[in-house]
Amino acid sequence: MKKQNTTTRPLWGGAAGRLTALALLAGAAGLTQSAAAQETMKVGAPLPLTGALSPEGLKQQRGYDLWAKTVNEAGGITVGNKTYNVEIVYVDYESQTPRAVQSAERLITEDGVSFLFSPFGSGAAKAASSVSERYQIPTVAPTASSPSVYDQGYQYLFGTFTPNSTLTTPLADIVANSGEEIKTVAIYARNDLFPLAIAQEMEASAKAQGLEVISFDEYAIGTMDHGSAFTLMRQSQPDWVFATGYINDLILIRKQMADLGITPKVLTMIAGPAYKEFIEASGPLAENVSSAAWWHPAVSYEGEDIFGATTDYVAAFEAEYGSTPDYAEASASAAGAILQVAIEKAGTIEPQAVRDALAGLDIVTFYGPVRFSETGQINSLEPPVFQIQDGTAKVVFPEDVKQADMRYGDIN
Amino acid sequence: MTRVLPVVLVIALVAALPLLGDNYLLRLGTMGAMYAVMALSWNVIGGFAGYPSFATAAFFGLGAYTGAILQGAGVYMPLAWVAACLAAALFAGLLGLAILHLKGHYFAIASLVVAEVLLEITTSWTSLTGGGMGLNLPILRISVDAQARLFFWAMLALASLTLAMNWIVANHRLGFGLRCIRQNEDASGMVGINTTLYKVIAFILSAVFVGGAGALYASWVFYIEPPDVFATLTSVKPIVMALLGGAGTVLGPVIGAVLFLVMEELVWRNLLEIHAAALGILIVILIFFLPGGVLGLFKRRRKPAAPSRPLASAEAGR
Repeated sequence: MKKQNTTTRPLWGGAAGRLTALALLAGAAGLTQSAAAQETMKVGAPLPLTGALSPEGLKQQRGYDLWAKTVNEAGGITVGNKTYNVEIVYVDYESQTPRAVQSAERLITEDGVSFLFSPFGSGAAKAASSVSERYQIPTVAPTASSPSVYDQGYQYLFGTFTPNSTLTTPLADIVANSGEEIKTVAIYARNDLFPLAIAQEMEASAKAQGLEVISFDEYAIGTMDHGSAFTLMRQSQPDWVFATGYINDLILIRKQMADLGITPKVLTMIAGPAYKEFIEASGPLAENVSSAAWWHPAVSYEGEDIFGATTDYVAAFEAEYGSTPDYAEASASAAGAILQVAIEKAGTIEPQAVRDALAGLDIVTFYGPVRFSETGQINSLEPPVFQIQDGTAKVVFPEDVKQADMRYGDIN
Repeated sequence: MTRVLPVVLVIALVAALPLLGDNYLLRLGTMGAMYAVMALSWNVIGGFAGYPSFATAAFFGLGAYTGAILQGAGVYMPLAWVAACLAAALFAGLLGLAILHLKGHYFAIASLVVAEVLLEITTSWTSLTGGGMGLNLPILRISVDAQARLFFWAMLALASLTLAMNWIVANHRLGFGLRCIRQNEDASGMVGINTTLYKVIAFILSAVFVGGAGALYASWVFYIEPPDVFATLTSVKPIVMALLGGAGTVLGPVIGAVLFLVMEELVWRNLLEIHAAALGILIVILIFFLPGGVLGLFKRRRKPAAPSRPLASAEAGR
């Protein structure tokens, strides 16, 4: 694949053209646009396309691509008397944070992008935000949830994930007030940025509800045998097991729990059950596993953005890729859709105006209601809690989009 | 002195890079200087002494975490950098005593595992290092332009120090002893070279500035996590750079570092996904056709004119 997976390329094409472009870009980024009848708006997207995070990077790329394709097929973004086609400039940062920062600087200074999507995860997004802030480039972070990313006093950074606590608080609330005899929680976390952070948040949420956290164990990245940890866990007979990790970890954990006969009343896993692959791989074992995510295809909103209703977005995604979108893909698409609404509201692609429009946004999208707090992190989203029932994920919270009641027990 | 002067001039010229006002260029310059520190450091143990060390990542990560933890505890930034140098040196001294009696592949494997062990410890020791969540450093309250200049000059100064260290070693009894060890360690011992001491000193020298570079790097990017600073590639890249430029020479690793940076940047810019493979192939080809590195090319041409130059004589022993 080529360096720039462009959706439109009005002037340049082929390797020779790219070399010429590279030579000219530093000095004449503006010239390439003015000659085209329909102008091009560049959005930079540093992604981990290779290395440890590449599955996540590819997800984000699919989300962005779908947005760019949808916009360009609809004729581009119209502001005033100009119409812009969207071109997403991708850079692979090899899953290395320093490269991500370097990529952001390169995209802004050399490729001349007008806007930026943050690299994956809280750490890299935070590191890269210092660059976009300095160049005053409005930046949307689709996969950064930690509030510490946003509390730096930056003006140009906006995030589409609510803090981790918004996932664990409703979970703890539902379980603690279920009327079931649930007193003890065992937490089992992958020692990795997001899985560990969400596990610590769960511990806090559980304690706030008066539940007793009887164990908090971490497992190393790449662990294949959880036997000893589960043998210990079985002795303490927790009512609620909360396990974090990525999909492959959680499939393995679910199977090994079953092998060792751990049968809690509630089993919550983040962030695997949000993916269809988890249900397919775990089969009957997936039944009654609960989870929470920032978005789920089962939620239903009537969006004012380019994608429209949630069901329309899901259908468009399925038509394009043949699979159901998960929260990471949807958040990436939403980042584009939100940026587009802000540009249309601002009536220009001038950075300061778009930044102000983003800050003042109050709309409903396919992804959910969108409003940013003072710090730039979204605060209008109610992340759904869901449970796998009869082979499909059913939303049990929030009330407006609820599909089923939470079930207890029956975890073998 | 006539040999040193041009080098000083080049360094002075490079130090004027901020005048161009291009921060991306400064970022590349900082990375280039960091690469030079690592390649020059590796050169002492790998080039002069001929011990194929893969421990660079261990020293780098150790320095990064030492610097980051100290800065997080409120230690003044330059002091944290110095402390990181000392921590890496101390660690290298102890490690050297343990593994430098191994030779060839055995030493390579042992040094390679060190970074993995440190990675595991750093990841598990959540209370001190933040574990898998990584570690945030205090953000500098100066303008970002000033930051870019500060870290560029600091890294360049570190690279100059490392270069000076290489030059001193090459012209000192230590360098002579290390070359003897590379050619025949047993014979060196017999003619009165304290091989253990020399090797441990060389290993410490190969660590001290890399530790400093790690701490500088941590301050530069504000955020570190274990897989970033203990990456195996951090151990491999300096070796490639030194080989590209000419291992066992003083200037070779610097030339190799710059050449590597330029190739890496060009390939990365022009290929979205297979850049790592393309870079690998390019390097294999270069090393295949330039077995003595870039400096080896010069040396072969100049050999009749200057047969016994102290700088060039080292890399011949392949």
